[in-house]
Amino acid sequence: MKALLMKDFYTLWRQLRVYLLVMLVISVFNGSFGNIFITIWAALLPYTAMAYDERSKWDQMAAMMPYSTRDIVVSKYVMGWLCTAAAALFAMVLQLLQTVLGSPLAAFAPVDNLMGCCASLCVLAITLPLMFRFGVEKGRLMMFLIIFLVCGSAGALSSIAISVDHTAGGLSGPFAALMAVLPIAAAALTAVSVPLSMKFYARRQA
Amino acid sequence: MNAIQLSHINKSFGDFAIRDLCLEVPSGTICGLVGENGAGKSTTIRLLMGALRPDSGSARVLGTDVSSPEFRAVKEDIGVVLDEAYFPESLNAVQVGRIMAGTYRRWDQGRYDGYLKRFDLPLKKQFKDFSRGMRMKLAIAVALSHQPKLLVLDEATAGLDPIVRDEVLDLFNEFTREEDHSILISSHILSDLEKLCDYIAFLHKGDLLFCEEKDRLLEEYGIFEDSRENLDCLMPEAVVAREETRYGGVRALVRRDLAPAGFRMEKPSVEDIILFLVKGAKNR
Repeated sequence: MKALLMKDFYTLWRQLRVYLLVMLVISVFNGSFGNIFITIWAALLPYTAMAYDERSKWDQMAAMMPYSTRDIVVSKYVMGWLCTAAAALFAMVLQLLQTVLGSPLAAFAPVDNLMGCCASLCVLAITLPLMFRFGVEKGRLMMFLIIFLVCGSAGALSSIAISVDHTAGGLSGPFAALMAVLPIAAAALTAVSVPLSMKFYARRQA
Repeated sequence: MNAIQLSHINKSFGDFAIRDLCLEVPSGTICGLVGENGAGKSTTIRLLMGALRPDSGSARVLGTDVSSPEFRAVKEDIGVVLDEAYFPESLNAVQVGRIMAGTYRRWDQGRYDGYLKRFDLPLKKQFKDFSRGMRMKLAIAVALSHQPKLLVLDEATAGLDPIVRDEVLDLFNEFTREEDHSILISSHILSDLEKLCDYIAFLHKGDLLFCEEKDRLLEEYGIFEDSRENLDCLMPEAVVAREETRYGGVRALVRRDLAPAGFRMEKPSVEDIILFLVKGAKNR
């Protein structure tokens, strides 16, 4: 699996440089929404890797090599998780820096980032099986669903986050409920999503 | 032991089917897989690598059933070159080497670097900027650098210039000097196969018409080139296929065992035999 992750990283490297720049701008100027948005957007990076794979017909080559279906499928999830974690960390460090520097745009709220990570895992878990089923080319319509999920969840999370005073004693209301539900939803969806993706991928290859 | 053993494989795709394919490639030999476009060569290769599931029948490679979980480990011993080198376009040769080092346990980086040098491949150029010949050379370098026991080559020499092709064929010959090393190679360049192979397998529209030792095949048939009257003296079963020549005569592939002793024939090439067999199959 390490080799597959390395391949995706090399493939995405050019794309990642642009993404980092966009992340920087969005995170600095869009406060809470920007933080969450870039974290969830990071979940889209595996699709770029999949599109490159599809264009080069890498799957045909991979089928001849000692990779298991599990390696190939899980590597895309792991890539999504790594990108999400890196984006969340990057956003947190940026916001911390802005807070330290006294910027009026600072929105340092690690809990928001964690919620963004969970939403990102949910987006991955919902959309990856569909990509493995239809492929990236045919699954273009799916992109509308993905964009809707990304923007919708980022918007919803940020508006809830903004309405909550994190400094008050204890969390309550919709954000507290989300804090409890989102991680569980992310774990449950992922647990269903991975085997489903493996099944779809194996069926497409056969 | 057989390096490859396909037993009664059937696979249907609707308008095309592989029918009752039985193919054995003994260990230590080179088998050439011949056939027209769409005859089923690439499908056969995908079936024997477990990348396609047959509707019925079984495939064993290096003694292991390809549908078993153990076959994944056996793939370490198989170097594959497909009709195109399907590496992601943004990679370069150095990155491909690093990825393969993480893929194959017995990856030999020194050997890979040696092939890159020998084939004069650029290290940092993106794969998308490679010519077809360069792409195939990179795929061959990868296939040979993880110490395989079996090479499966699908049109691996297509797109190479004659000098490099000759060098690559020498490499394949070198590879089979180890007695447990085997090759299955499909190619349209029949002269390459004649130079390289011990066995020739001929696929026609999904049917394996024969898989025979090359020398026996060359002994089995003769090329007759003379007047139509002389050819018509033979019993019809002896003539596999015929064609008119520009000078009013005929040229035909004739089965030596059905021709009378002393009947004048020339030694055929593998290309002659295959072309006449295809023609004969079409006329049937």
